[in-house]
Amino acid sequence: MMRKKSQSLLGMAFFGPALVLLTIFLFLPMILTLVFSFTDFFALNPGLTHFVGLDNFFQIFQDEEFRRAFLNTLCFVLIIVPLQGLGSLGLALLINKVTHCKKYFKVAFFLPVVMSLAVVSTLWIQIYSPEGILNAILENFGISAQPFINSASQALPSIAVMSAWQGVGYQMIIFLGGLQGINPALYEAADMDHATPWQKFKDITLPELKPLCIFVFITITIGAFRMLVQPMVMTGGGPSHSTYTMVYDIYETGTVNWEIGLASTMAIVFAVFVMILTVIQTIATRDKEEKDVDKKTKKK
Amino acid sequence: MLTKKQKRNNWILVIVLIAASLFFLFPVLWMLANSFKQDAAITRDMNSIRAFVPPALKGNFFDNYVKILTDTSFVRYMLNTLFYAAVLIILGVIVNGLAGYALAKIKFPFRERWLMIIMLLMIVPMETIITIHFLFIAKVGLLNTVIGYVLPMIVNPFNIFLFRQVFVSLPDDVYEAAQLDHCSPIKYFFTMVLPMSKSVVATVSVFTFLNVWNDYLWPSLVFTSGDLLTAQIGLNAITSNDNTTMGQKLAVITMITIPVIIIYSLFSKQIVEGVVSTGSKEG
Repeated sequence: MMRKKSQSLLGMAFFGPALVLLTIFLFLPMILTLVFSFTDFFALNPGLTHFVGLDNFFQIFQDEEFRRAFLNTLCFVLIIVPLQGLGSLGLALLINKVTHCKKYFKVAFFLPVVMSLAVVSTLWIQIYSPEGILNAILENFGISAQPFINSASQALPSIAVMSAWQGVGYQMIIFLGGLQGINPALYEAADMDHATPWQKFKDITLPELKPLCIFVFITITIGAFRMLVQPMVMTGGGPSHSTYTMVYDIYETGTVNWEIGLASTMAIVFAVFVMILTVIQTIATRDKEEKDVDKKTKKK
Repeated sequence: MLTKKQKRNNWILVIVLIAASLFFLFPVLWMLANSFKQDAAITRDMNSIRAFVPPALKGNFFDNYVKILTDTSFVRYMLNTLFYAAVLIILGVIVNGLAGYALAKIKFPFRERWLMIIMLLMIVPMETIITIHFLFIAKVGLLNTVIGYVLPMIVNPFNIFLFRQVFVSLPDDVYEAAQLDHCSPIKYFFTMVLPMSKSVVATVSVFTFLNVWNDYLWPSLVFTSGDLLTAQIGLNAITSNDNTTMGQKLAVITMITIPVIIIYSLFSKQIVEGVVSTGSKEG
C-alpha cells in the first residue's frame, strides 16, 4: 500500500515538469486556438471580443487572400509530391544498384538536406536571379532568360523545384533503408525463373516498398502543407500573392495584424488537414511496423 | 559472376550518376567557388565554366569571410545559437527524459492514458499554436529575451515518446539493486538510466541541435532585434543589408552550414537511424 502511494508520488514528480510545460505550451494553446476561432478576438483591443459562432469559418473562405493561400498550398503540394517522391525513389533504386562510389552518391544527394531552409532560400535567390547562374546555364542550351521567382506564374513552381531539391535526399535515405530490408531470396527465386528486371521491379520491389511509399508520399505532403520559410525569405509571398501559403496567412494575420480570432480559425482549418494526413499515414503504415516488430521478436 | 555486358552497364550507371550528382550539386559548387570572389569576378565568370572554379589562392582569397567575421555580428549570432542549443539540449534531456522514464517504469495514476495523450500530441502541427505562443510570450513581456525563446521549446512529445520506448526495455533488477544501496530515484536516473541509454540521449541531442540551428519562424517572432538573434535570423539581417556583397552573402551561408555538416559527419549513424526508423525530422 505504502509502496503504491510512493510510486504515484514519484511518478508525478518525474512527469510533473513535463506536464507543467505541456499544459502551458500545448494543451492551453490548443484549447485557446479552438475557443478563439469562434470569436473576433483582436489582441490590440481585447475588450471588444465577441462570440461570433462559425462566422470566421465562412469569412476566411470568402477572403480572397486566404483562398489564394489555400489554392497555392494545394498547387505546391501537387507539384512537389510527385517530383520529390518519384525523384527520391528513382535515386534510391539507382544508388542501390550501383557498384562503385555508393557512399559518395549518398552524401552528394543528401547534402542539401543538411542546409537549412533559410540558407537554401538565400542561396537560390542568387541562383534564380535574372542575371544568375541558372539563366547563364540555360543560355548555353539556347533557352532565353526566365524571370523565375520574379514572375507571378513561375514563382511557385520555382520554389517547389528548389524545395524538392533540398528535401529529396532525405526520402532517398528512407527508400535505401527499405530496399536493403527486402529479402534477397525473393530476387534469387525470380532469377531462377528468368524474370526480367522490369518484372522484378514490378512484382517484388514495388509491392515490398508499398507501405514505405505511402509513408514517404504523405510525409512530403505534410511538409508541403507547412511550407512557409521559402516564400518568407525569397518573395515575401509575392509577386501578387502567388507564393502566399496557408501558414504564411496564419502568421501574418496572427502575429503581424494581431487578429488572433481569424488566425485561430485558419490554424484550425490547417490543423485539420495536417492531422487527417497524419492519421491516414499512421493507419496505412501500421501494418508495416507490426511486421517489423514480428521480425524482431522472431530474431530474439 | 558478372557478365561483360553487366559490367559495362554498371560503369555506364556510375558515369550517369556522377554526371547527375554534379548537376544536382551545381548550386552548392557555385556557392563554394564564388564565396571567395569579389562581385566583379562573380559577374565576369558567370557565363563560363570558371563560375564553378574558385579563384587563385592569393592574399585576398578569404576577404569575404574576413569581412563577415570582423564587420558584422555574425560570430555573435553563431555563439548565441550554440548557447541556445546547449541550454535546450540539457533542459530537453532532463524534462523529456524524466517524463519518458515515468511513463516507462513508474506506476502512477493514469499512466497509460498519459502515454496515449503524448502520442496524440505528436500529430499536432506546431504552426497551429505558434500564434498563441507568441501572444503568451508577448503578454508576459518576454519578447526579445532568451527565456521567452527557450521556454516553449523545452518540452517535446516526440522526444518523451522516444525516451519512453528506450527506457521501457531497461532491466528492472538494476533498479532493485540500486534501491538496496539506498540510491535515490533521481540519482539513479542521472547516474544509471541516462548513461545506460547513451544512444537515445545522443539522438535526442542531435535532433534538438539541428532543430535549434535550422529553426526560422519561432526565433524570427521572438527576437525582434539586436544581440540575441540566432544564426538563421542574423543571416537575414546580414543579407538584407545593402552593403553586403554577393560574395559575402555566399560566405555567410557557407559558414552557417559548416557546424551542421560537422554534426552530420560525427553523428551520421544516429541521424540515418533516426531518419530510417521514424522518418520525422521536425519532431
